[in-house]
This record gives sequence, structure tokens and C-alpha cells, in this order.
Amino acid sequence: MADTKSGRYSSNAISPLVQSPENLECKNFQDYLRTRQTPESLEKLYNHPPICLAVFRELPEIARQFVIRILFVDQPVPQAVVSSWGAQRIAKEQEEATNCLTALNVWRVTAIPGGLSAWELSPTFKKSVRQVLLGGGKPWAMSSTTEKDSKPRDIAFLDSYAMSRWRCVLHYMVGTGGRNGGPDTDAISPDAVRILLHANLMKRDERDHHTITITRQGFQFLLLDTRAQVWHFMLQYLETCEERGISLPECLSMLFQLSFSTLGRDYSSVGMNSQMLTFLQHLREFGLVFQRRRKENRFYPTRLALNVTNKNGAEASTTADEERMQERGYIVVETNYRVYAYTDSPLQVAVLGLFTELLYRFPNLVVGVLTRDSVRQALRGGITAEQIVSYLEQYAHPNMKLVESAIQSKSCLPPTVVDQIKLWELERNRFTYTEGVVYNHFLSQNDFVTLRDYAQSIHMLVWQNERTRTMVVQKNGHDDVKRYWKKYSKSGG
Amino acid sequence: MGPPKKYKKERGAGDKFAKKRRAEDEAFTQLVEDNDSMDNASESDGVPGAASKNAETNDENINTDEYGAKDYRAQMQLRADHTNRPLWVAPNGHVFLESFSPVYKHAHDFLIAISEPVCRPEHIHEYKLTAYSLYAAVSVGLQTHDIVEYLKRLSKTSIPEGILEFIRLCTLSYGKVKLVLKHNKYFIESPHPEVLQKLLKDPVIQKCRLIRSEAEGEAFIQGTLDGKAITQFGTKLPTATDKPAEETPTTSTAAAAPGTDGAAAAVPDDITDFYEKIDKEEEDEDEANLKTVSFEVAQEKIELIQKRCIEIEHPLLAEYDFRNDTVNQDINIDLKPAAVLRPYQEKSLRKMFGNGRARSGVIVLPCGAGKSLVGVTACCTVRKRALVLCNSGVSVEQWKQQFKMWSTADDSMICRFTSEAKDKPMGCGILVTTYSMITHTQKRSWEAEQTMRWLQEQEWGIMVLDEVHTIPAKMFRRVLTIVQSHCKLGLTATLLREDDKIADLNFLIGPKLYEANWLELQKKGYIARVQCAEVWCPMSPEFYREYLTTKTSKKMLLYVMNPSKFRSCQFLIKYHEQRGDKTIVFSDNVFALKHYAIKMNKPFIYGPTSQNERIQILQNFKFNAKVNTIFVSKVADTSFDLPEANVLIQISSHGGSRRQEAQRLGRILRAKKGAIAEEYNAFFYTLVSQDTMEMSYSRKRQRFLVNQGYSYKVITHLKGMDTSTELMYNTQEEQGQLLQLVLSASDLDCEDERVPGEPGYRPGGSGTTKRTGALSSMSGGDDAIYYEHRRKNTGSVHPLFKKFRG
Repeated sequence: MADTKSGRYSSNAISPLVQSPENLECKNFQDYLRTRQTPESLEKLYNHPPICLAVFRELPEIARQFVIRILFVDQPVPQAVVSSWGAQRIAKEQEEATNCLTALNVWRVTAIPGGLSAWELSPTFKKSVRQVLLGGGKPWAMSSTTEKDSKPRDIAFLDSYAMSRWRCVLHYMVGTGGRNGGPDTDAISPDAVRILLHANLMKRDERDHHTITITRQGFQFLLLDTRAQVWHFMLQYLETCEERGISLPECLSMLFQLSFSTLGRDYSSVGMNSQMLTFLQHLREFGLVFQRRRKENRFYPTRLALNVTNKNGAEASTTADEERMQERGYIVVETNYRVYAYTDSPLQVAVLGLFTELLYRFPNLVVGVLTRDSVRQALRGGITAEQIVSYLEQYAHPNMKLVESAIQSKSCLPPTVVDQIKLWELERNRFTYTEGVVYNHFLSQNDFVTLRDYAQSIHMLVWQNERTRTMVVQKNGHDDVKRYWKKYSKSGG
Repeated sequence: MGPPKKYKKERGAGDKFAKKRRAEDEAFTQLVEDNDSMDNASESDGVPGAASKNAETNDENINTDEYGAKDYRAQMQLRADHTNRPLWVAPNGHVFLESFSPVYKHAHDFLIAISEPVCRPEHIHEYKLTAYSLYAAVSVGLQTHDIVEYLKRLSKTSIPEGILEFIRLCTLSYGKVKLVLKHNKYFIESPHPEVLQKLLKDPVIQKCRLIRSEAEGEAFIQGTLDGKAITQFGTKLPTATDKPAEETPTTSTAAAAPGTDGAAAAVPDDITDFYEKIDKEEEDEDEANLKTVSFEVAQEKIELIQKRCIEIEHPLLAEYDFRNDTVNQDINIDLKPAAVLRPYQEKSLRKMFGNGRARSGVIVLPCGAGKSLVGVTACCTVRKRALVLCNSGVSVEQWKQQFKMWSTADDSMICRFTSEAKDKPMGCGILVTTYSMITHTQKRSWEAEQTMRWLQEQEWGIMVLDEVHTIPAKMFRRVLTIVQSHCKLGLTATLLREDDKIADLNFLIGPKLYEANWLELQKKGYIARVQCAEVWCPMSPEFYREYLTTKTSKKMLLYVMNPSKFRSCQFLIKYHEQRGDKTIVFSDNVFALKHYAIKMNKPFIYGPTSQNERIQILQNFKFNAKVNTIFVSKVADTSFDLPEANVLIQISSHGGSRRQEAQRLGRILRAKKGAIAEEYNAFFYTLVSQDTMEMSYSRKRQRFLVNQGYSYKVITHLKGMDTSTELMYNTQEEQGQLLQLVLSASDLDCEDERVPGEPGYRPGGSGTTKRTGALSSMSGGDDAIYYEHRRKNTGSVHPLFKKFRG
């Protein structure tokens, strides 16, 4: 039978279907330096001792060891020597540390006589770290004020000030800022709006350029804890600061200076250049520093600024901090999916409303329920199950942590609720995709059956329909099936 | 398991099917349906008008905020010391209670008395004020003024005016008048002379009044409630054990609020003061010289006067002064010294015999928490002829056992009256029978006829109604016309309330006297700690294809017979047999029941199984170490007492019935001995086939238990099942054969088993009846309109999402 090419095939490209929407990327300081900065600009940053100290603190433990060991060694250290410092079983960590130091341009490879390669610390970095550790050079810490503040501000005041300023930004995002006229409702500056737009947390409406709406990433941003929010926001700020003519290294340096300062102490802004004063005003707006008046050259850093680089900010808490945490926990999640939130803050209600169906509002309590619909709506909006769970966990009411089961397991939420939220997410991704090749237009039933049976026998058949004589073969089985088909049609069927 | 969910499926469902589904969604089962159509007149009969008042509608015109939530903030003011008070009261009658509040205990006792529990999980409980619950509150002696005052003190906010109005409306006229049988004369009694005056102005009631001597004239009979009324039930717990039980709640609340040492003292004085006052009042009433006035009425006109009183919104509370009843002879029955009442059992009985008389009402205790002992104790307290009604022959036997175990009654005093066992009734003190025996309308045997006549002639001291939720109002009315009894005690585990008909029981039997908190009993070890799990069994592709294309009746068989469900079931049985557990497997579908049981070589019980065989299988299950697993159909849903069982596997069930779910859980709730160390000592598995209707049914079924604080763990994959080689239906061929078997099954096989009293059941009609009901009857939609108390806010989208176009 002169059956010519009957198997016309086409490759199925499904990949665009599975592409997940763009998610909020949260970088830590290291990632930021690695991805955003070139070796040259890193070198420029390392001129600032505070930045070096921050980098040093963020390094993996082993990497810090390496740096300290070779900090005062003036010639390059052979790589073999460095790798001999660690035992064999931590070879993996050691490798990581090495890579990290290289990526951050803290050290680089040089050749030493004898053809061996060796590690050498970047001179700028070395100089700055030495200066931080031993002193000398220009003072790098912020200068204290000379005279005592007549009306000093205590930590509690600074905390509440910082949070209220920061909430302004969040309120603006969820659009509750101007409307309700609550206490936290000062508008935010055009600069801050620009940052939100730049960070893609909000965007301008396509039709109406005056309205600004929140984006998918914006929702995810709201579910982060405050420290992560501030850090993300500041990174975005830094990206735009060059446009405003403020130097990035100086900003970063100042940010870290603030983070190394002492809470509750006042510092002087005397001697700052005009760029830095502008930056200070911005920090003041977001609540990272407190300044009584714009012109006053005395300011207090707040907890928001102190926690910027501190990875363990949430844990490293003083007693006052602990109390604050207790206060912050306001959500009770029950095994029957009820959610009770002790709050009257429109912001918290708005965030909660993202993934719960709210039923009643009392003066100090909101009653809601997690339903499949409400959670799916949130999932559609780009929030992940993980984010919902971690938000609920983070703000769990102190009483939730006292339950027997909560003490045993890590999470204080009812495990069934956590499972269910995850299952609701999973049920959205139930398709599994198999790449395949379609065979159709068979001329006779016989041909179809033969080829199908062959494909089945080598377990490569994905789908077949006898009536339309169509079959789909896995992609990696295509060659085999094609070969078989050629042989079969040559032999004359 | 979860919150209500809308389960919409587009695939393979035509318009018609979709419509049916929606009907299902809106309905679920509460009650066994009476077959005969009910005329409206009889339905509203015996229920006063105010009972139809509903606080739920009070907030209809309340604004909703931007998220679709009802915004009550404008309605109430937060009080300055709100942190020390435990309640929020919503204008629609819902009350929220913090369980970790220092005054939780006070508030809890109070709320139990005046409202219905909606859900009681760990931290915040929800209650609801209803006309019925308030009726129950006044009938146990609370006054309108006290309710309002105490509610005000407990609340964190001011109380919405609408709610106060509602409380007044529902309590002012209720519970004021009692019908008392004393010295064999009927009296209408009340502590409020003005109410009696009002009653007597009614011409109908006037006619019923019986004036014995001229001297009495128009004046009321003055009386006092006599004081020696403290009722003692059986043996008291030794005080040593009593004390810690009392102590624990206080210490746990103290532990729940650490670092509030200073604040613990901050319980507002007015709350504790008032609580003590109410407490004292309750006792006062016992000791008490409460002045009452009364007038006598003619016995033959009781029926009439009861009806009339309901019409004029003063329903009569029936109380039975059994101590002073000399016409009916005492029976010689007492509790054995070994019978020790648990605190909650005593509490519930105290509500019933609070003032030395017997009140009629319903006591709600979880299955396995010792309902029978409460019933037996009640009978021993009244010490008059007792009639016990239950719903199957097996439970008649079990009641007899219970009487013999807890009380001094012996065989000669207890008479069984069932189709299989008819003891001589004459001279007996306790008669145990079934509802269907009493209400039977067909011709009876001569022997049965004699017993019935005797039964009708008696004046019963107390009537105990077991599993009272199973009897529809209509059947219950029939029982009431046949049996004359002075007080009625209803016992149940699940008094689900959405259905109006079950609410009518409030007026037919009496108010709910007590309802236990499941989670609390579990914590204190009175009932087993159960791990509930929902096991998801993926439909095998062949079965799912058939499922999508086949007609409705067969769908069910397909998802029940799903081979991976079979394998999961077998795996779980094996696993638990190795642990030495006793397992019951439930299946509503007889075809599946038989297939599973025969294939696995296990004994099974279903409708046609004879009484003897049943008892033999149950005995073996109890005592034979080789019989660790039995298969049962829905006949075992209620009243099969299987104290040994601690694992329950459910492979098919009756649509979305929450009651069935709770009843089945009850089979394994009896407290287990010697397993204190483990976190859970009983297991409840529901096997559901993924992506089928079963999933949504399962969700509905679980709602009641979830509201009681149970949580269902979803198991998507049983560990070790893939590697186990002993399981059946391993190969495609075997599965194919199973599919053929299912496809060739007749329509009859596809249906659930029928048991007496259910829709479509015809005695003797051997399955030739074809059920004509819509699919909704499968989900129980026949008997109830399902009120979904959710606002239709599908359109209300979070304002952020409204803005968000991404």
C-alpha cells in the first residue's frame, strides 16, 4: 500500500499555560548586593565602613571566620591553606562561604609565585573593616548631639511614632488613607508614591492616570512582616535615589549607620550634606527616624531603622519588644474556620478581608470565616497559601500559643486549617502537563491500531481515540514510534 | 470539614442536573420524614405565636461595610473596662464568648441557660438567642430582669436595644404559669397573681376552672413551694473527687492568662456579685418559700386549657409533683450504690428536678456520655411507673440491661414490648418499647392488643424518650394521644435546630434543659478523644469516566465501589487489627456493604439480619478476639452500644446528614480505658472518592461536629499503602471486573438501605417501591428546608480586588 507520510505531527507547546504570574521578590541584603551591583560599584560601597560592617555581619559564619583570619595577613593566602581550615564534613558549607565571598567581591583570586592561586581580600574592604573594628580614620558612627535634649523621647513613644508613620504608607496602599479620617491618615508624599509605583507595588490605572491601584505584588507586600516590608521598601527607594541625585553609597551607608545606632538615643545631623538631609527627611516620613521639626538638627532613630539589617530582628527582642509582640497578636483562628480579629484598625481589617469572608464588625472585634471561596479569591489575586498561613501565624493571638497542640507543634494555628488552605491552593494546580506528539490522519484503522498498540507496548501512549484515529505519544517516545512507523510502512503494512 | 463551600462543577452536567444540585445544596437532612403529607393546621398546632419570632431578622437593615460584613459599630459603645468582660452581643441575637476570659465559667453557665450553642471550639464560642432558648431559660426559673441585667454586665459593649426588646418579648409572658398535678388534682399555678387574673378573664379558661367549695369563692389558693425539695441523685461523688473537678476550670483560666496576676483580680465586681446573687436565687427557690397562687382546673379539660393558654401566649409548663401523688403507686426501684453520676449528669438532672418537682424537657448529651444512666436515674427519682421509648429492638434490650445494671430493678419489673419479645406487662414498673410499636396502625396480634390496651389505661409517671430527634412531630403527637404521662424526658445527642419541626419539640416535650459541651467532656476524659480524618481516595480513571457519563443513581455506586476506596478501607482495617483495635465499618449502601464484607471475609449486619444473628455477631465482636472488624449498615447508626469499638470507617453515608455523622461518631465515643497516654484513643475515618459528589456531602456532614470543636484531618495519601502487596484490586484486570460488576448492578442496588420510619419505606414491600423523590431527598432535602444563614454576598468583593485589575 502506497501509504505515504500519514503521521503528521505537531509538538504541543503548553508552557505558556503553566507560566506562573510574576510574584513579589524579596531579596535580602546579600542578594541585593550580588544582583544589583557590579564589582566596581561594590568597591565604591566598600569605602564606607558601615556598609562593610553590615556586609560582614550578614556573611555566613564560616565566611566570617575566613575574613577575620586573613584580615591582618598582608600577603595573599593560598587557596589550599584556606580550604584546609575546615574539616571534610563541612566541605559543602565551606564551598558556599567561599562562593559568597567571591560573589560579594570581598576577596578575589590572585596568583602567587609558584603558580598557586591564592585569596586576597579586597583592599578597600580590608581597610574599612579594620577601621570599624579598631577605630581610626574618620569617625564612621553618627555623632551624638552635644547638648542634652530638654524633652527626651522614650522608646515607647518612638515605637508608636514609627508604626503610625509606617502605617500611613500601608494605608495609602489599601486606599483607606484619606477616606475614614482615622488617626493614621496623613497623606504620603509624592516621593513615596513614586517609590510604590517604581516597586510595582501599585500602578496607575490604564484609563485614568490619576487613580493608582494596588498590584498583585502589592497584596503580597501587605502580608509581609513589618521588618521585611521596610527592607523591601528601602531597597526600592535606593534604586530610585540616583534619579533624585542622591548618591547610593552614601544613602546605604547612612541607613546602616542608623541600624548600628542605639534606640532611644538622639543623634545630631550637623555636618550632613544637603543630599543626606533630604534622605533624612524621607526616612522621617516613613518613620525610620523621629525629628521634632524639619530644621532641627537632632533626630532619634526608631526600631524600624534598627531592624533594617537585623536578620533576627523579630527574635532579638527586649522585654519592651516582647510586650509589643503580645499586643500585635490579634487574630484567633478556630478549628471551624472562624477567624476573630481583635482590631479596629482599618488596615488590619483590609488585609484580613483579602482572604476571609467578614461577617460581623464589633467596635473592637471583627468576625470572619475562611471559606473556600474567600481563599480562592485571594489565591486568584496572587497571594499564596504560604503567605496567608504565615500572616495568620505571625499575628496569632497570644492565647493561640497556649493551646496544648500549639505547644507541641511549631505552628499555633489549627493544623487542619493550615492543611485546608494548602489543599485549596493545590486544587488549583491539578493538571500535570506532559509534552507530546500528535499522530493523526491515519488512512486505515489497521494502521492506527498497529501503531497505537506499539506505542502502548513501550508505555509511551498518552491518549488515543479510535474514532478519530488520533493518538498522542510522549515526546521522548516520538523517535521510537516514528522509527517503528517507517519500518512498518516500508514493509507494506 | 470546612466552611460552607459552593461546589460547582461544569463538566458532564447538563442544566437539569445542575439545577438538582442546587436544590441539594440548599437542603439537608434533619429528621426522619413522615410520609404522609402534613396539613398546615397540625404543624403550627401547639406552638405559641412568639415562638416564631426571630432575632435573626433584627439586623436586616443594618449597613454592611465595604467588605460585606455587618457593621455593628454604630449600634454599640465599647465599655471602658471591656477587657474584663467576656461577651459581644450582636443585634441579630448571636453572642460571642471568650473562653479564655477569667469570668468564662460564669458567663458560660448563664449562656447555656439562655441561648443555643452555635459553635464551641477552643477559643471563642458562639451562641444564639432564640425564642426557644429564652423559653427554656424562663422555664427553669430565670426572670426577664435578671437575664437582661446579667447580659448587660457581661457584655463588652452596650447591648443593642433590639435584643433587649427581643428578650423581653420572649420571656415576659412565658414560663409564668405552671400546670401542676398535686394530690391528684390539677392546678394552674403561678407566682404572679396578675397573670392568673388575666387568664381567668378568658372565657374558655373560666369554664375549665373547678371550684370545689363556695367558701373558696373567687380567691386564689395561696401556697408556698415547700422547702424539703432538695433532690439527691443516687450516690454522691466523694467530695475529694468532686473538688478537683470544680477546681480545674479556675486554675486553667488562671493559666490561660499568665502575667495577669494583677489583672485577674480585675474581674468586675458587678459580675461576680450578680452571679452569686443568681446562684443563690436558684438555691433559694429550692429551699424556698416562694409565694404562689393557684386555682384548680377540671382534669377532663386539661387538653383544652393547654391549647387555649398557648393561644393567649402563656404556654403552660407541665410540672409533676411526684412526691405528693398518692393515686399512682410508687414502684420499688432505686439506684444501686455502685451507680455514680458524673458532674454533668448530675447537673442535667438538677435542671430537671430543680424545685423538687419533675419538669418535662430534653437533655442533650453526646453519645457515649451516659445518657442511659440519666434516664435510669430520672426513673428512680420519680419512682412511678415508667415508660421508655426507643427506636429499635436492639436498643430495647440495651435499655433493659441498663436498668438492671444501674438500678435495683429485676426481670420481673421490666417489661419489654417489641415485635419479638413480649413480656407480661401486668404488675411491672417499667415498660420498654419502640416508637413504631406504639404508633403501629395495622392490625396487631391479640397479645399485643392486650398490652396496648393496658398501656393506654395507665397513668405513667414518667416517659423517657430515647433519641428524641428521630421522631417527627407527627409521630410524636400520636404517641402523646395514646400515652398519658405526667412528665416527659427527651434524650438525644444531636438536637439540630434548623428545622422548625424539631423546634416544636420544645412545646411538645418541653424546653431543652441541658446541653453538654463535647470538647469539655473530651478534655476531662468522659468521652474518648477522637481523631477524625477524611481520607481522599482518587477515582481510578475507568471509574471516573463511567461516573461522569452515567445516570445519577449509579453514580453513587461508582464512587462507593471505587477500587482505591476499597484498598484504603482494607489497608486501614489491617493496620488497626494489627494494633489490636476493634473496628466498625459503616456503609449505607447494601450492595457495597455485602461486597466489601464478603470479599474481606468479615461478618456484617444489615436490615434483613435477624435479631438473633445480630446479637450473636455483636457478642462475638465484644468477646471474641478473632472478630475484630464488623460491617454494619445504617441500622447501627443509633443505639447500638458497642463499648469496645474504637475505630470507625465510613465508606458510604446518607447524603449530607450532619446528624448521621454525629450519631456514628457516637458509636466510638464511649470513654476508653487505659489509653490515657495517647493523644487520641479513637479514630474516625471517612473515605471519600475524590472529585465526586461525596466530597461536598462530606463537607456538609462534618459541619455539626466541626462546630462542636472537632477537626477533620485530610489524608490525601495513606503511608505504606503503595508498598503493601496484600491489598486486593491491585491489577487493572481486577479493577475492570469490579467495574463490570458495578455496571451490571440493578437500580435497587444503587440505593441506600431503608429502615423503618424513613421515606420510601413500606413494611413488607420487599424493595419493589421505587423512590420517586428528587436527588435532594438523597441529601435529606425531603424533610427540611435548609436555612443558610449566610448573606447572599457572592457579589461582594473585597474592595481591593474591585480595584485590582491585574
